[in-house]
Amino acid sequence: MSLVTERIRPQATLIQQTRRSNALVAAVFLLPAVLLLLLFLLYPLLANFRLSFVEWNGLGNTAKFVGLQNWVQLVHDPVFLRAILNNLTLAALSILIQLPLGLTLAFMLDKAGRGSVVLKVLYFLPLLMSSVAIGTIFKNLYDPNFGPLNAVLRAAHLDGLARDWLGDPALAMASVILVVCWQNIPFYMLLFLAGLSGMPAELREAATLDGASESVIFRRITIPFLQGTIRTALVLSLIGSLRYFDLIFVMTGGGPSGSSEVMATYMYRTVFSGFNIGYGAAISSAMFVIVIIASALTLRATRRFETEV
Amino acid sequence: MKYTALLTSMLLSASSLAQAQSTLTLWHIQTQPGAKKIIQDAVDRFTKANPSVKVEVTPIANDTYKTKLKIAVGANDAPCIFTSWGGGPLYEYIKSNQVLDLTSYLKKDAAFKNRFVPASFSAVTFGNKVYGIPSENTSVAVVLYNKALFKQYNQTPPKTWDDLLKLVAFFKTKNVSAFSLANKPRWPGSMFYGYLVDRIGGPQVFSDAVTRENGGSFANPVFVKAGSMLQDLVKAGAFAQGYNGLDYDSGASRQLLYSGRAAMELMGTWEISTIASENPAFAKNIDFFPFPAVAGGKGNPNNVLGTVGDNFFSVSKSCKNPDAAYKLLTYLTDEQSVQGRVADNRLPPMKNLKLTDPVLIKIANTVARAPSVQLWYDQDLSPQLGQLHLDTSQALLGLSTTPQAAADQMETLAKKLAK
Repeated sequence: MSLVTERIRPQATLIQQTRRSNALVAAVFLLPAVLLLLLFLLYPLLANFRLSFVEWNGLGNTAKFVGLQNWVQLVHDPVFLRAILNNLTLAALSILIQLPLGLTLAFMLDKAGRGSVVLKVLYFLPLLMSSVAIGTIFKNLYDPNFGPLNAVLRAAHLDGLARDWLGDPALAMASVILVVCWQNIPFYMLLFLAGLSGMPAELREAATLDGASESVIFRRITIPFLQGTIRTALVLSLIGSLRYFDLIFVMTGGGPSGSSEVMATYMYRTVFSGFNIGYGAAISSAMFVIVIIASALTLRATRRFETEV
Repeated sequence: MKYTALLTSMLLSASSLAQAQSTLTLWHIQTQPGAKKIIQDAVDRFTKANPSVKVEVTPIANDTYKTKLKIAVGANDAPCIFTSWGGGPLYEYIKSNQVLDLTSYLKKDAAFKNRFVPASFSAVTFGNKVYGIPSENTSVAVVLYNKALFKQYNQTPPKTWDDLLKLVAFFKTKNVSAFSLANKPRWPGSMFYGYLVDRIGGPQVFSDAVTRENGGSFANPVFVKAGSMLQDLVKAGAFAQGYNGLDYDSGASRQLLYSGRAAMELMGTWEISTIASENPAFAKNIDFFPFPAVAGGKGNPNNVLGTVGDNFFSVSKSCKNPDAAYKLLTYLTDEQSVQGRVADNRLPPMKNLKLTDPVLIKIANTVARAPSVQLWYDQDLSPQLGQLHLDTSQALLGLSTTPQAAADQMETLAKKLAK
């Protein structure tokens, strides 16, 4: 008995020691990142939540604690509810348009191999342009009086289709969403291309030998292989859509009459034009909560999907 | 070693302190070369006369400026001298105790103050205290019109609202839009609403609703009437297609004028000089007339909507050297600066200006005749109400709300904020 303990003890302490020093090293290496995260992520996040409980114009020490007033107002605010709806529309259409098109482009470019380098570069271009430039270009394209879009429609004797693309409340959101898709499809194309390039050629060869058709290979091998990438794309697209700001701000400013307002543009207007910091903080905190919940739900849902296949 | 470090840090902090005491920071939004130089020249004259004071001048583009100033003040890092449009937004800063009361300076310096048109101080006067010096320009909203087009169709500027509606109907038959309007930023459309309220009910209706005095209310039938008349104009097809989505800053409304697709535009008089520099050949076709009268309305048709003084310089409370800051303000609006601005086609709010440019003279006369100059609604109202006003006027123009609902929305928020 005593022999055993004598033999084991030094070994145990050695393991404990290495474990402890390993933990110490890990902690030291992690510390800078954790500190930066605390300082630049967690602190602003909490500070923002705190701001959502005050009424403040952002100038001087005039903040007044108002409890849940901002939050109560928020859930009854028709503009905010409209903004959420617009965000969800944007998310749904982004996922339905951008991901399939991105995947199709990636699949075709991957098949075309080396010959497609020029196309790859061309398709990639929209992603390199700044949103403000894209917004300005499309604002001109959409211009109802001088814009090429309506001019082409009229020249083709389709006058009935020429519309006030950005000034009609019924069309403004859809017009902007098309541009958002145009800008972001290359990103998903790139993501899927990267995924496809990781697919071993043997998989496809083996399937071909077994007599699988192209569509079967696509459905049974390519798609399941890209599962992880698709999940990433889904979550990225969802989060991106829920906190979307730039093209809408540039092209419509959320108008006309709130028809293309999203949560972020509403927050910006509330804070920087309305001097209403507390309410703006409530909007952005609500945005944070919604994004977290939505991405958690998506991750869960797609995980189930993963096990089923 | 330790002492040296201590000493250096002391020296450093002492020198930065000394620097802070003798440095004035100045933020303004005159980014056009001519206007920017006038300010820089005034600053140079000031530093020459006061060599102990250093001035850091930062010109900032209009839209970024509003955001930047707000953040700087919120972070207790306000510039010593800053520019504003007076009215509701400036009052937010005053309420938060950020702006220096200049009344005592101006009292001691009557000769300086009396050079200005008295009305020019109204946008920066709150509770009989003056918080700013008017500097740049006088801009009022007028109806710019294409003289050549009017002549071609043998039309004359309308004097009344009914004439205007007839004119709209006439131009419609000629496939020309009566008005170009670029209402994405929402303030251009607000001018129609502001003028209609004035012409129907006189200037007092709006100012009472703002101050909540004399039973003033945004639910006053005058506001509802103004909204429905505005919608009449829309339904008559007065505006060129896309008006609620066109961007003013990219010149969308002027394009319509240049191409002859629209005959008129309700806009601030600054646009006359914009057109002169943007399209000199077209500029000779441009003239303007005042917003038409409304039959049976209480407002004097000479009343104008706009600003006398446009851009007011204020001194922030946190400025370490307010006396020097005030002195710099007097340089920024001294005789040389005024002459520079006139030469740059602007109308500083001074008495006895010697003008030669016929357009400037016409603007000056329009303002001189006006019994009331109402500041732009979105600038006069508190920021929150101002935003709602812009939203509701855009919605009225888009026919997506009713005049009654728009008025009620304004009144509900005004009541809530007044509490």
